Amino acid sequence: MEAERLEQLRAQFSAEAAGIDSESAASALRDRWTGRKSGLLTAEMKTLGKLSPDVRREFGLQLNALKDEVDGRIAELLSGFGARREAEQLVRERIDVTLPGRRQSSGRLHPITLMRERIEEIFVSMGYTIEDGPEIETDFYNFDALNIPPSHPARSSQDTLYLENGLALRSQTSTVQIHAMQRRRPPLRVIAPGRVYRRDTPDATHNPMFFQVEGLLVDRRVTLGDLKGTLGEFVRRMFGPGTRTRFRPSYFPFTEPSAEVDYSCFKCGGAGCRICKGSGWIELGGSGLVHPNVLRAVAIDPEEFSGFAFGLGIDRMCGLMYDLDDIRLLYENDARFLEQFR
Amino acid sequence: MKISYKWLAEFVDVDIDPRSLAEQLTMVGLAVDGIEEIGGDHIIEIDLTSNRPDCLSHLGVAREAGVIMGKPLREAVPAQIDVKGESVSPAAVDVLDPDLCPRYTARVIRGVKVGPSPDWMVRRLEALGQRSINNVADVTNYVLHELGQPLHAFDFNCLAGRRIIVRRAVAGETLITLDGIERVLNDTMLVIADADRAVALAGIMGGADTEITDATVDVLLESAYFNPASVRRTARILGMNTEASYRFERGIDYDIAARASDRAAALIVETAGGEIVGELLDARAQIEARPPITLRLDRFHHLTGLNVGMARAKEIFNALGMEILPLKDDGAVSVKSPSWRIDLAIEEDLIEEIARLEGYDRLVPTLPGGAGAGSYQDDEAARKTLRRTLIATGFHEAISFSFVNGETDAMLSGNHESGLVLTNPVDETQSQMRTTLLGGLLSAVELNINHGTRNIRLFEIGKCFLDDGARPVEIERLALVMTGARNELGWQGAGERLDFYDLKGTIESVGENLGKNSLEFSPTSDIGYLHPGRAAVISLAGNKIGFAGQLHPRIAAHFKFKQPVFAAELDFGAILQVPGLEPRYRPLPKFPTVVRDLSVLVSDAVSWAEIERSILGLNIGELVGVRLFDVYTGSELPAGKRALALSLRYRAEERTLTEQEIGDCHGRVVSMLAREFAAELR
Ligand SMILES: [Zn+2]
Repeated sequence: MEAERLEQLRAQFSAEAAGIDSESAASALRDRWTGRKSGLLTAEMKTLGKLSPDVRREFGLQLNALKDEVDGRIAELLSGFGARREAEQLVRERIDVTLPGRRQSSGRLHPITLMRERIEEIFVSMGYTIEDGPEIETDFYNFDALNIPPSHPARSSQDTLYLENGLALRSQTSTVQIHAMQRRRPPLRVIAPGRVYRRDTPDATHNPMFFQVEGLLVDRRVTLGDLKGTLGEFVRRMFGPGTRTRFRPSYFPFTEPSAEVDYSCFKCGGAGCRICKGSGWIELGGSGLVHPNVLRAVAIDPEEFSGFAFGLGIDRMCGLMYDLDDIRLLYENDARFLEQFR
Repeated sequence: MKISYKWLAEFVDVDIDPRSLAEQLTMVGLAVDGIEEIGGDHIIEIDLTSNRPDCLSHLGVAREAGVIMGKPLREAVPAQIDVKGESVSPAAVDVLDPDLCPRYTARVIRGVKVGPSPDWMVRRLEALGQRSINNVADVTNYVLHELGQPLHAFDFNCLAGRRIIVRRAVAGETLITLDGIERVLNDTMLVIADADRAVALAGIMGGADTEITDATVDVLLESAYFNPASVRRTARILGMNTEASYRFERGIDYDIAARASDRAAALIVETAGGEIVGELLDARAQIEARPPITLRLDRFHHLTGLNVGMARAKEIFNALGMEILPLKDDGAVSVKSPSWRIDLAIEEDLIEEIARLEGYDRLVPTLPGGAGAGSYQDDEAARKTLRRTLIATGFHEAISFSFVNGETDAMLSGNHESGLVLTNPVDETQSQMRTTLLGGLLSAVELNINHGTRNIRLFEIGKCFLDDGARPVEIERLALVMTGARNELGWQGAGERLDFYDLKGTIESVGENLGKNSLEFSPTSDIGYLHPGRAAVISLAGNKIGFAGQLHPRIAAHFKFKQPVFAAELDFGAILQVPGLEPRYRPLPKFPTVVRDLSVLVSDAVSWAEIERSILGLNIGELVGVRLFDVYTGSELPAGKRALALSLRYRAEERTLTEQEIGDCHGRVVSMLAREFAAELR
């Protein structure tokens, strides 16, 4: 009799469950069958107490099995509808992720600054101190102390810019060598980046103002080999570990012996290309051992101390590194140019 | 300078090909720029440094090539000099200013037939880029390229009194040079004169009156040594630069005058006929003997890191033509440098000679030891922070020329500083050193707008140069300009125009990131280049450090700006001088903060700064923040009034504030505003 009743309930539930087509109908089905107060199965459970112990035990087990079935099926229905609801919501919330992002428009550092910071970082890590000096100079700092003779063409008004008061715009950052050696006694290691001026008419490869980095090291027994090792280390850190250097004899009034320094082309590695004009080498700058007259000009005894100095052109390096076809762009401050550098 | 490979071979046995020769010359300091093949020969272009005038000839380059290859120069074949008739020269030479002309030689060749040069000579000269003129003039050019001695040939019969007088010009004296230009001379210039007048500009160019022409029969050949500084000065004053002046300026070989004269005379006779008459006149002053130079081998080692033996050092010096003097010291060698090597004077010069001929590629790279830690300038961290803050707010870093247009600069000079003026500017319209960075930045804005970039933000850090009477003052400044939309126009909404407060906010962010919290902006109407109602003086710790504002319409019109442009300039050094505040931790609040909003109607003559200062001046301990969140000016408000909406935040550190306490605090603010500013609660 109870078994029949159970089968009847099971069949009735299956029929009802089969007709469920929404999440709310599934919730109603749950209430109707297993609701705490008026659920059909809940009511059946309550009748158990009236049965004889034997029957109760048997019927109880079967009734619980049916309840598990019902709970399982309802949970299945509910989660099915929940998943569908969530899926629908996610579809509704879809956006076009290919639309441009919202961003704070960011500015850029000037390529000269980017290059200068890289150079400074390398030399500071090698024990150098950054220094600066005035851009308007007396003949003493710009020429005399640098052993540039009074008759030297660099002093002429063709080459150097002069003010009405007779002072000159510094034509090289080498002037900072003199200031540094007057401020401090050896040993010293100095890097001086800054603006310099020459009386050049602007064209694709010249500007009347540009940036140099001067390097100076004075100590006991500083050699040409030290200069070569130092600049070799610099170019490897700047242009890559495989970069080679080449030293060629040259002439500058403030160094003796003097050397022109080339490094193997960062583009072609030395095979020859457009950047290095086919030679495989790119000029880095001038260098040499500090001329004894320069040391004497700042009261350093050349028998006791020696030193090396070098000068690198930042604009030139920018031109090569960024492949600029016209160096005048550096000082026109066109946003379309400036925004290209990082 | 151009050198013929085949011509070199007449001086030294060249056993390497042109490319290898070029490579090796470069590596001893004669930088080869290129090689060109012309008519079976190779022309090598050398970019010579100014200390090596001895290499401005085939003889000179042959000497270097000989040293490189370890080959001696061929013995110079003495020129064939057949003096006809009497040995007395028909000419006379009188050097009145031997300080400017320590040596002057002259020789006469009679009966020449001026005409075209032989083909071989024309080809050689043309390969070097030298146009052929006639057989006599060509010989002088030929010998210049061969031996490095500039020569000049006069038409002997055009020389008044048949004499040469070497003297300083008389002020105002004139001379028509070979190029047809009349030169007005002054009394520092050296001329070659005859009995009557100047006939050549010494060491630079001959005169037209005494030029060799087809009619010339007799020639006076000059081979001299002129003072380098004198030639340089004269050439510069007259704006002239010739093959001759180029060499004399740098310094030629004092001893080669006679050899060059012999060589040229023989070549003239060979190519133009005629005969040499009389001896070589050679007027020479005693020139200062150059002292011997001593090299210590250990010094060589100390300066190069290389080891070279005495035998090798002497071998190099010998090859270079030096005379080795007897010396007792085993570790040193004393030499007399040859007449053509005027660049050698001190021990370091000899060290370079050995090093370059041993080869710089033998230098062993070493790193100097004993370095301490390197360091940036003291303010480098602040500079980096500043740059990074500005680029994060959309500013590009600009760099402008230090020289600007003087009138524009004066117009933009907030401090009315006077500028320094260049005597020889590259561009006459840009001849003043800037006293403000704004000229450059505003020109850049103009350029960008012309190129279609209307939203632009630029900053520059750089020096301004002030005329302070005695010595120029260099002040580092920071300037900013901004114009256009706050955000780029995009699909997310129209770009609103930025205004004064964008500029102010940028400067405040900079101040905050540098730890300078006490930046103050106060209204000003007397900065000429700024809008009098939209300008502020910026102060830091009580000192004025700059200005910010909207450009005055007059200035905007000058630059043809059709959109408002905002600009600021600050004394960068003054900012960095004020110490930044280091961050200090404060415990997070343990009790809730209560926010009370307040909207008041006040006169628009009352500045926000006054109101904020007064509220904070109440010193209410529980008041932990005042924020302005709306400023409303609408037509429905009474004239001359604006509505301010503020948000006041209250909190106590040790307890939760009661409604009563908050009400009391808030009431004090409200009544103060009513009392002080006649503020009406809305
Ligand atoms: Zn390359």
